[in-house]
Amino acid sequence: MACVVLCASPSGLYAQSALEFEVKAAFLLNFAKFVDWPPNAFAAPDSPIAICILGKDPFGHAIDDVVQGESVNGRRVIVRRINTTPAPHTCQIVFTEETGKETHATVESLGPGVLTVGEGDAFVHEGGMIGFLIENRRVRFNIDQQAAELAELKLSSRLLAVARRVQK
Amino acid sequence: MKRSFRDLPIKQKLVVTMMVTTAAALIVAAFGIVLTDSILFRGYLRRDLSALAKIIADNTTASLQFDDPKSAGETLATLRARGHVVDACVYRPNGDLFATYSRHDSTGCPPMSRQTGIRFTPEGVVVSQAIILSGRQIGILMLKYDLGELWERVRLYGSTVFAVLLASSVLAFLLSARLREIIAAPISDLVRATTSVSETGDYSTRAEKLSGDELGLLVDRFNEMLAGIQSRDDALKEERERFRFMAESMPQKIFTARPDGYIDYVNRQWLDFSGLPTGQLLGQNWAQIVHPDDVEDNVALWRHSVETGEPVHLEHRVRRADGKYRWHLTRAHAMRDTDGNIVMWIGSATEIHEQKEKEQALRRANDDLQQFAYSASHDLREPIRNVTVYSEMVASRYKDVIDSEGQMFLGFLVEGGRRLAMLVNDLLAYTSAGTAELPEARVDANAVLKYSLASLAEAIRESGAEVTSDALPQVYIGEAHLQQVLQNLIANALKYHDANPPRIHISAVRHSADWCFSVQDHGIGIDPQYKEKIFGVFKRLHTDRNFGGTGIGLAICKRVVERYGGRIWVESEPGKGATFFFTIPRRAQARTANAE
Repeated sequence: MACVVLCASPSGLYAQSALEFEVKAAFLLNFAKFVDWPPNAFAAPDSPIAICILGKDPFGHAIDDVVQGESVNGRRVIVRRINTTPAPHTCQIVFTEETGKETHATVESLGPGVLTVGEGDAFVHEGGMIGFLIENRRVRFNIDQQAAELAELKLSSRLLAVARRVQK
Repeated sequence: MKRSFRDLPIKQKLVVTMMVTTAAALIVAAFGIVLTDSILFRGYLRRDLSALAKIIADNTTASLQFDDPKSAGETLATLRARGHVVDACVYRPNGDLFATYSRHDSTGCPPMSRQTGIRFTPEGVVVSQAIILSGRQIGILMLKYDLGELWERVRLYGSTVFAVLLASSVLAFLLSARLREIIAAPISDLVRATTSVSETGDYSTRAEKLSGDELGLLVDRFNEMLAGIQSRDDALKEERERFRFMAESMPQKIFTARPDGYIDYVNRQWLDFSGLPTGQLLGQNWAQIVHPDDVEDNVALWRHSVETGEPVHLEHRVRRADGKYRWHLTRAHAMRDTDGNIVMWIGSATEIHEQKEKEQALRRANDDLQQFAYSASHDLREPIRNVTVYSEMVASRYKDVIDSEGQMFLGFLVEGGRRLAMLVNDLLAYTSAGTAELPEARVDANAVLKYSLASLAEAIRESGAEVTSDALPQVYIGEAHLQQVLQNLIANALKYHDANPPRIHISAVRHSADWCFSVQDHGIGIDPQYKEKIFGVFKRLHTDRNFGGTGIGLAICKRVVERYGGRIWVESEPGKGATFFFTIPRRAQARTANAE
């Protein structure tokens, strides 16, 4: 459960390990709570929010544990693992650990209605919306608001307030 | 000097009353306003703070979700704008402190309370707000808000009320100046009028009516009262003038005195007579114009009357302007009010000098005559006794020598001599009755009656009379005189009876001032037309043929009784007997010196 992770105390002392990805898994779920998707981002009104892990999966079953039984705004949250550009409406959040030109192209091709999350500052520069980073051994993130707006996503101001840096 | 409110002038009372009333009303109103406001303010504060807590809680959801105490701290730090927030603390659901904001004077985060709500404590308001995201509680916000705002408001109201109080007091004071005009001025005016009346006694003063209210009514009534007093005063003055005029126009000398005997008025006749100014006759000065021989007695009598209220009646000599003393009859009576208290004395003095002198001359003549009658009758006794004795001796010793005719003449001589002796004796008794000394002690009338009956024993026995008596008192009278009276009256009763033996009863009844003796018989009675006459000297209703006597007995009785200040009279009807009454004062007293 997310709480188990978040409530861990003393918090913030993550090893570059499974624990880090447990936190990131929880963050992925939490992002869903601070983002408004346009209605056409879903296939149907009751479609779940799908967190798609593109390419390599660093979470293992940790992310499955996190989303287990969770729902946001009446939509269940599920995890998909994909290796290619997904079809429209199938993914609402796409996470990829990979960086580089290929990733950039993939991310760019996703179209509107998909929140893209990746690793590092570079990801944000390369067209990604949220990029994780480690600061003082804590998981933090930067946001490219402009990219999100282009994808017709509304990011909560509260989310923006928590971000290290917000690109406009 | 401490003065109570009661003694303050009405002006000041009005001011004080108005100020106190204003202040009381304002204070109560202020208290009510502050109370209401603090209740309203609590409601407002409750709504305001819970809204604030909700916003803050909402703004910290992301920080909690993404485990970012720093951003939560920044969010909380925005509360600095709300100066009354003392503490704002975000707890995780497990009770760990996640982020805090504290004012410089904070004493630490309020302990976490899982129950959402607002508590008012003496230190301040504590708000507990759950932080919820997507239907799940992810933390708790605790807010502590001081009550400074509340006290600020109370202070604000307090100072406002104080300012209003001050302003309204000044206003009330200014207004009261006008009210004083309306209320206090007529009262002051009335007080001035009453003071003026009581100081000057001028009842023509009137208070000015300034209003139509109760005060105006009071002024009206007061003026009516004054008018009433004034008219009564005028009537009194008129009455006094009338009295003065009357007193001045009388030929008598008139005076009035206060209840304590101080002479406060004398009329003109006094001044004319004495040749003295009024001032020398007022007060106790009258004594100086009374003859030195009369002064002591007069002063004592006057004092006695003043003490007892009894009328004064005195005859005295008063000095005329030429220094000669003239006899006056002075009378004074006490005038009393309805309660019987003496209000004043009114007296008059009438000159009786000429009457007095005539009277004295008459008395001297009378005294001389009496003295002459006394000595004449005294001196006559001896030769008369000789005539009687020797004619009896001749009649007895020369019985054989003198023929029957001579003996008859001698018999007339003896009888005449005896009657002459009786007459002279009675005359002596009559004259001496008027000169008797007043007794020092009382005599027992029972004993006196006994002697009288003993003296009359022969006559009683002869007539076969029945003499009865009640118990008699002790009286102030000469023993011989009482015997003379009783004996004469009983002898009369024995003498004037019809065919039946006489029945005589003697008794005495006590009256207020005297004893009234009575001698009752059942004899022939006396015709009413002679009731007065019989007490004269030598007045007899019957000829010697039927009844013996000199005709002087009742005259002696009258003289004796009157000598002692009593009186004597008879009540009778012919044929039904007669009752003689005589009174003797219970206290020793003489008839006035000029009696007879």
